[in-house]
Amino acid sequence: MTHVATNAPRVIVCDGNQAAAWGVALAKPDVVAVYPITPQSSLVEYVSQFIADGTLTATLMNVEGEHSVLSALQGAMLGGARTYTATSGPGLAFMFEPYMRTPGLRLPMVMSLVTRDGITPQCVWGGQQDAMTVRDVGWIQIYCETVQEVLDTTLMAFRIAEHRDVMLPVNVCHDGNYLSYGVSRLEIPDARQAEAFVGPTDVNWHTALDPARPMAVDPLTGGAGGPGPALFVRYRKSLCAGMEAALRVIKEVHADFADRFGRHHPALVEAYRLDDADRALVTIGSMTGAAKDAVDEARAAGTRVGLLKIKTVRPFPVAAVADALSGVEAIGVIDRAVSFGWNTGPMHQEVLAALARGGRVVPSLGFIGGLAGADITAEHVARAIFDVGRLRDGQAPAGPVWLNETD
Amino acid sequence: MGRSFDTIRFRAEACDACGQCVIACARAKTGTDDTSRARLQILGGGTEGAELALCRQCTDPQCAAVCPSASLAKDPDSGVVTWEAETCVDCLLCTVGCAYGGIASDPVAGHVAKCDLCDGAPECVAACDRGALEHVTASRLYNTQHEREDLFAPGLSACHGCNSELLIRHTMRHIGRETVVAAPPGCIPGMGVVGYNGQTGCKVPVFHPLLTNTAAMLAGLKTQYARAGRDVTMVALAGDGGTVDVGFQSLSGAAARNDPMLFICVDNEGYMNTGMQASGSTSYGSWTSTTPVGEHMQGKSGDAKSLPMLMMMHNGAYVATASTAFLEDYHEKLEKAYATAQHGFAYLHVYAPCPTGWRFPAALTTEVCRRQVETNFVTLWEYTRDGGLRFTRPVEGRRPIGDYVEMIGKYRHLDQTHLDVIQHQVDERVAFLRRFAAPAGG
Repeated sequence: MTHVATNAPRVIVCDGNQAAAWGVALAKPDVVAVYPITPQSSLVEYVSQFIADGTLTATLMNVEGEHSVLSALQGAMLGGARTYTATSGPGLAFMFEPYMRTPGLRLPMVMSLVTRDGITPQCVWGGQQDAMTVRDVGWIQIYCETVQEVLDTTLMAFRIAEHRDVMLPVNVCHDGNYLSYGVSRLEIPDARQAEAFVGPTDVNWHTALDPARPMAVDPLTGGAGGPGPALFVRYRKSLCAGMEAALRVIKEVHADFADRFGRHHPALVEAYRLDDADRALVTIGSMTGAAKDAVDEARAAGTRVGLLKIKTVRPFPVAAVADALSGVEAIGVIDRAVSFGWNTGPMHQEVLAALARGGRVVPSLGFIGGLAGADITAEHVARAIFDVGRLRDGQAPAGPVWLNETD
Repeated sequence: MGRSFDTIRFRAEACDACGQCVIACARAKTGTDDTSRARLQILGGGTEGAELALCRQCTDPQCAAVCPSASLAKDPDSGVVTWEAETCVDCLLCTVGCAYGGIASDPVAGHVAKCDLCDGAPECVAACDRGALEHVTASRLYNTQHEREDLFAPGLSACHGCNSELLIRHTMRHIGRETVVAAPPGCIPGMGVVGYNGQTGCKVPVFHPLLTNTAAMLAGLKTQYARAGRDVTMVALAGDGGTVDVGFQSLSGAAARNDPMLFICVDNEGYMNTGMQASGSTSYGSWTSTTPVGEHMQGKSGDAKSLPMLMMMHNGAYVATASTAFLEDYHEKLEKAYATAQHGFAYLHVYAPCPTGWRFPAALTTEVCRRQVETNFVTLWEYTRDGGLRFTRPVEGRRPIGDYVEMIGKYRHLDQTHLDVIQHQVDERVAFLRRFAAPAGG
């Protein structure tokens, strides 16, 4: 049994890594495998300490690298375990081989990505290049804005992943540095309430390695003849269906969370002062706080600007994005990662694609900032709002705009 | 279903017709030194080579078929062709019926007499110090195996002459159903063990790990079963690529943590399933499709990495090498490895000469396996934390490496210089291993 309710103060002050660890303790995984990497390390230290203290009764596996972390957890899940781990940047790159396989096995794992910029240039600081690079692999990706949202989303992630209509692994992403080490107030939910919210472990009803129900897990599938091609398509389509269902389930779980715990977090996107806006910024993750301040200042100066925060990146909330931006005449998208072949940021591309699906072509500008731990301040965002204004007036600046180019 | 029985194997090339076996038989069966009354006789010898007149304990004995009084019959339990004095009419037809000289008249007794295998402990074999006679008891193994359930589908599609199928069927018959089998990409899933398009080739839970993560996946799975209080054995049936090369990190981690599992490496010295590319386990001089032979290359230029030694250095709870030419030795090790795998890390390294990739006739696989051991190219040993390293079939007077190399097509381009290198590697490896062996009686 966990003893969070008796051990834990209801409200503490901590960083995002510790908040994630509290979310894990409340979700009560059976097996946790760890390997340290900056800026994730303190997160797995907290979880390990919880296990050492008996706050969490999971079995802790200290393995020899991220590749084996994910592999061991896949094995454990095929035996019926709820599992958890966390990684970052190069660790994610190293585990890519089993990472790529997890969604296809339909294993509802939860893994925190404490996002970090990609090497090289060698760096150890925040950025979303790691998570953005793997966004098409089949994991659900949810990006947090605040320390509180890190805990709450981690808890919700287990329920989203294990929903029988979804059965997909979830990355709860929080920004390296800003959220991993940024400290703020944290409310810790009651342990029994959290347990009731997450529900009993339900991870290997569909596929298992168990002598009590012997089966082959993942035999060779596909090829050009026999039943292979159609079978392979069936698997792929079912994964797409799981992703589509997740759009609904993520909203339902957030709504239920709000009912039970009284905290309302946006599920897919958050619209901020967009109702009468003629221009909009799109943000993601922890930069959103500074961006909201900049929007408030611009509003105070009479500029009709609003903001759309993307929280869920996979599945991409195409309809929600298109709907939220339906009234604006120009948009600027601030990315914390680079899409190299497109010479802009990945969210910029995807927002345009979401609008285009509804037949809309809107003047847009891509901003890239906060790479390798750089700040995105209200001043940076104010400049972005100014540029989007010029865009709306038909003076299209050349993109992308690198927000920290002259810092 | 039929049973298999003990037999006496005669190796003519080792026999110098010293006659000790004949004397031992005469003493055991007649209480005299009268060798004419012995139930085996050596014929010939010298440059012609010896032949042995001895009952073969035939499955369909012709001596019994021609016997008019039903005095000869094959015993269904022991397999010995028995003779009943009370009913024998002394017609001697049996001595004519047998093509092997296996039954003959005892002039003193006035009856025929024949070998009865001395109740399972033949005196002739005990008396032979030349290594020409061997009491072969492998039949007991096959009889036991026969009674156990084959856990693979019939008709796995291994190449002709491949010993992997033999190996995995033996292994899983022994281990049984409370098992999960991991078969990373390679020949073993290639022959259909994990199955295709929704169908399985195995009666126990089986899966494809990645080539890289077999040990880690099993470690995680075992962790969950340990939490649940269930005894399920983890078994890896991996090739050398998934063990020696990209599989090594996760294997090393599991061995170092002493994660409970039985990891079996079936070593065919390369990526034979995908077109015979070289692996870290490919031996010096080998032709492979990525260590080809041409004006500038003469096959692999480096030596193979020895995984069993590395597993010993990890202080694995049980580590052993094995050859399918010596299945009794393998089964003894499998038994220990299986027991170890309930609580710790067990590693078996089994050699799998590949007729397809190494270029030798499919009928010769077992002979190639035997020659590997006779030349010390392969050494059979086991390691335990308490007992250290022990050679389980030490070879006295190893054959020269050329006797092995000449059997294998992938070495066809090698000259004497190469052979000298391989011989040196082999001798050096054995000397190295001996340093880890506990002193005799120590």
